[in-house]
Amino acid sequence: MSTLLPFHKTILAEIHDPATNDLVVLARGLGLRRLVCSLMKIYDSPKNLVLLINASPEEETAFGEELGIMGCRRPGLRVVGYETPRQERQALYKGGGLIMVTSRILVVDMLQADLPTELVSGIVVLHAEKVTPLVLEAFVIRLFREKNKDGFVKAFTDQPEHITSGLSPLKNIMKELQIRNVHIYPRFHEAIKKSLERRRADVVELSQEMTESMAEIHHAIIQCMTGTLSELKRSNTTLDLEELTVENAYFKSFNVVVRRQLDPVWHKVGPKTKQLVNDLGTLRNLLYYLLTYDPLQFHAYLETLKEANTVNQAGNAKQHQSPWMLTDAAHIIFDNARRRCYTTSSTSREAPPVIDLVDDDDAWDALNEAEGIKVDTKGKGRAYRPGWLPSTMDPVLEELPKWDLLTEVIQEIEEEIIRQESTKKPVALGSNTILIMASSTRTCNLLTDFLSSHDDTAKKGSKGRRMMLQKLRVYLWWKGKQRKEEGKSPTYMPGSSKRSEYGPSKNGDSGISEALQRKDREKAERNQSRRRIRGGAPTTKSDRPAPSTSANVQPAEEDPFAEFWATQAASDATLTPFDITGVNETLLDFGSQSLESEFNDHYGLIPPEQTIIVRAYSDDSDDRVLAELQPRFIVMYEPNMEFIRRVEVYRSAHPGLGVRVYHMVYGNSCEEHKYLAGIRKEKNSFERLIKERGSMLLPIYEDRRDGSGRNEDTIKTISSRYAGGRRELNTEPSKVIVDMREFRSTLPSLLHAANNLVIPATLTVGDYILTPDICVERKSLADLISSFTSGRLYTQCELMSVHYKYPVLLIEFEEDKAFSLEIVSDMKSYAKPSGKYPAKKAQGGPNPPNSNTPAYSNVSLQSKLVLLTLSFPRLRIIWSSSPFATSEIFGDLKKDRPEPDPTKAIATGADDDPDAGAGVNTAAEELLRCLPGITPKNVKYVMSRVRNVRELCEMSLERVQDILGVEPGKACWEFIHKGDTK
Amino acid sequence: MSAAPPPPVVIPGSGNNIIVSPTQKGNPVLECIRNVGREFGDILADYQVGRTTGLLWLSLRYHRLHPEYIHKRIEKLGHSYNLRILLVLCDVTEHRDSIRELTKSCLVNNITIIVAFSLDEAGHYIATFKQFEHKSPDLIKERTEKDYHSVLRTALTSISKVNKTDVETLRSSFGSFAKISHATSDQLQNLPGFGQVKVKNVKNAFDKPFRNNA
Repeated sequence: MSTLLPFHKTILAEIHDPATNDLVVLARGLGLRRLVCSLMKIYDSPKNLVLLINASPEEETAFGEELGIMGCRRPGLRVVGYETPRQERQALYKGGGLIMVTSRILVVDMLQADLPTELVSGIVVLHAEKVTPLVLEAFVIRLFREKNKDGFVKAFTDQPEHITSGLSPLKNIMKELQIRNVHIYPRFHEAIKKSLERRRADVVELSQEMTESMAEIHHAIIQCMTGTLSELKRSNTTLDLEELTVENAYFKSFNVVVRRQLDPVWHKVGPKTKQLVNDLGTLRNLLYYLLTYDPLQFHAYLETLKEANTVNQAGNAKQHQSPWMLTDAAHIIFDNARRRCYTTSSTSREAPPVIDLVDDDDAWDALNEAEGIKVDTKGKGRAYRPGWLPSTMDPVLEELPKWDLLTEVIQEIEEEIIRQESTKKPVALGSNTILIMASSTRTCNLLTDFLSSHDDTAKKGSKGRRMMLQKLRVYLWWKGKQRKEEGKSPTYMPGSSKRSEYGPSKNGDSGISEALQRKDREKAERNQSRRRIRGGAPTTKSDRPAPSTSANVQPAEEDPFAEFWATQAASDATLTPFDITGVNETLLDFGSQSLESEFNDHYGLIPPEQTIIVRAYSDDSDDRVLAELQPRFIVMYEPNMEFIRRVEVYRSAHPGLGVRVYHMVYGNSCEEHKYLAGIRKEKNSFERLIKERGSMLLPIYEDRRDGSGRNEDTIKTISSRYAGGRRELNTEPSKVIVDMREFRSTLPSLLHAANNLVIPATLTVGDYILTPDICVERKSLADLISSFTSGRLYTQCELMSVHYKYPVLLIEFEEDKAFSLEIVSDMKSYAKPSGKYPAKKAQGGPNPPNSNTPAYSNVSLQSKLVLLTLSFPRLRIIWSSSPFATSEIFGDLKKDRPEPDPTKAIATGADDDPDAGAGVNTAAEELLRCLPGITPKNVKYVMSRVRNVRELCEMSLERVQDILGVEPGKACWEFIHKGDTK
Repeated sequence: MSAAPPPPVVIPGSGNNIIVSPTQKGNPVLECIRNVGREFGDILADYQVGRTTGLLWLSLRYHRLHPEYIHKRIEKLGHSYNLRILLVLCDVTEHRDSIRELTKSCLVNNITIIVAFSLDEAGHYIATFKQFEHKSPDLIKERTEKDYHSVLRTALTSISKVNKTDVETLRSSFGSFAKISHATSDQLQNLPGFGQVKVKNVKNAFDKPFRNNA
């Protein structure tokens, strides 16, 4: 299917040689996945063993499929996960071919020599931009190069923006991957230019002006951002001001930049600064929402913002209000946002509102059941007032200008299709499907709603009035509900991107029976999921053909018109109840899949020419969508650089196909700005990369002998620190035994880098065994907190104390994060009583200070640490500010001490574990440990008796009691089945 | 020292107070020790926070100026006290080397290091050591929350990527833990806030075997 373009071939020709190692940086959207797959196909043979690492879970399947399509089926790409048993893995590796493997497993297999490292033909690394000395991939490459000098390493990335931070980012990546060639292919590369620009694009650029109120809000938000930014600069003099511009603040990465600068001092900055940083994020979101949300939704979001800002979680007035909320500009935002939805008049002009017979006040209550609306706005226009409107409210319901534009575009496309059909030769390439691309699934849903309910006869700016009225009604319902249960999660509206939040029923009659609705809902859901499967892409929730609304067709087009209405009626019936209000209220109904055959009855009717597909931008899988649909008309509802390139590639790959792209942008908006800035950013980063490549000093990699090189060691011992340069040469390589589970962390890799022999093993006691006497349990901050609450740490320390002379708890902070415990407990409970001691005692006499009360949640982490040291006087604590520091400390501790013995370490405390040495499913084990009745003592036993958590859930009370004992068994069983009968 | 400490009392007897070595006079941390009494007394450690617990005080800033000081103190401490604490106040930005070096010598000398990051925190540590002198470790021995919802929350959030909102979603959609364990991928996928990765993690935790015997 996917033909390779000339520039693809050029790249392949450059990098396919298995004797070289290459890093490829390709501009996004130019088909990196296809490139990698083609490359892998070249190597596909049982004689080769090629490993693919660092793929995200979504990519795992996508790559397999892509390779399958390319004809690499037998055996194709196989995925190795932890659940693949060891023997099977060994067999797989021996068999050769293409294997995708998780880095963690690969590391263990390499260390344990399950994988014949010297036989590996090569490794393909994806997402090379993420490679740092800390990640496992760097470890993999290091292990690989230790034993294998001839295999290749090919690394790929399409995120040049990520490789620009730091001093010489490109070099660092190349150093970690031990690659010396880098190929950079920006869009402006000669070869790419040549292949893509042979045919000029047929792009219609549509710049839509914002409405007046939108423009005002837009302006006000920018003002707020500038204000917040300057406030932030003023309160933090240490910040690097270069990067803090409003322009940068448009991007999500801005928060990362600010946080990176503030992280080391994050515990020291006041709540005000934190607030400011948060505010910038909020404002940026607002800008985006302004352009994509419908006015009502935007208004509702603002209201929750206001709500959240004035009231804190406890329901009291919040102390630190966002400063921007108090400015005039914010007032403009709030005011205009409301005025876009409705205006209130104290004296209602039409004193008795038009009361519709069907729709009296009772309908207001009926709303809660989200019954359908009878509204038929046609003809009545603005004069019509639904009875459910509060009398003082005049709906304005401004619509997003792009909606109108979209209908116009679709109309134009349809006319074009008709024109072509009447004139052109019968066989035209491509389908008449109109592909609309938007930035999020949420926007897609909105557009689908709009397109299926809009009214073409209405005048400009009010075509979607029906939908908007429905939305207004739901909004009112939401308001009422919110007022009723004040404070109960008022934020769900903007947060959850569930379209059913707005429950417009599209069909006219509200008399539809409950059972029918239910059935329809099932159908609708099934259709949804079915579609998703067909699309084959991860984010195709909205991938549903909306019936095209070809309302303004000429009389000659009577035929498809009628058919359209027929199908729309059918699809309407199925779609409607999906929108039933409030998923939270109605228990989710999971329809059975048995009625799948009916699918065709509903969707098979629509011929492909008349479908409009609304999709959200995704990753490289968009290429496949284009290739499969072969659309001739593409509407880009929001600008997206990658997608434009995808279309370019798509067009060049299908020479006979005339593709027309409509590109919609709000003029003078942040959207336009963001788009342009994004392009600029990518270009700049490419330029920087090219420059760096030009001036790079290529590192020469010293040979490391098997196991651990000794050269570094000798250098260390002649260090000038010791007078006279005390020399010593240890004959045995220094060993560290590391628990299997620990390979998720970065420490093993660093230990290996520090010339330790890392021995993976399944340890019952401790995480790291440094010497026969020293056993270390590593805890990150999050781990520390959770294992204190679960009581696990206590047991672990108990075990360590029994078996080892020096039990050690390692508290490891994150690199670049604040080295402080205070960050954990922002509340600083211990600093509260500020009076002098005697006064305090008098006051707290009957109710002794918080540390003695059993209010567990109040006990600070520090107090728990104290209790731990009191319980285990022999326990030592290592405070390490980063994994690097840890590896140094370990080195120190190991100096002049005997090496540990792996077999002994594994055997220690493992007598009751029948499965020692087997693969571990940590997630399941964690989950099991959290259940009541499961103690650290019996967890191993349970795991040997029960296969998985699900099996435990299926057991009868007696069987659970049989395993756990009477009391704990009962507790466990009751926990599992609580709420069952509901 | 505006809040002048009581004059040195030489009988370190009553046992309810923290005994402070006279060398610590003027240490700002004294102000931060709250909720327990303190008295001056002639002891080997800097603070005697329990019958068998001695605590040495070290500010890293001081340590950088006088690196030999703490070793002398440790030497002087000899083998007294059952639990020996070195309370390090981390008041410099370049702490890595000092802490590494202290860690090593403390391991050799059977001393546990506690790092405090502010005076308040340090004071809190000292006070808590005294308060918890006779406390049973039950607080950290077992999980502390017992009610259904919090257990369910801890259990489900142990699965990576699952947050509290998701727990609520799962509970309200399925009802019970057992029902959740039977949920299919498709059902999970339909829940708000559940993407592919999260669904996969949940399924892994529930369905995949604990151990696979290879």
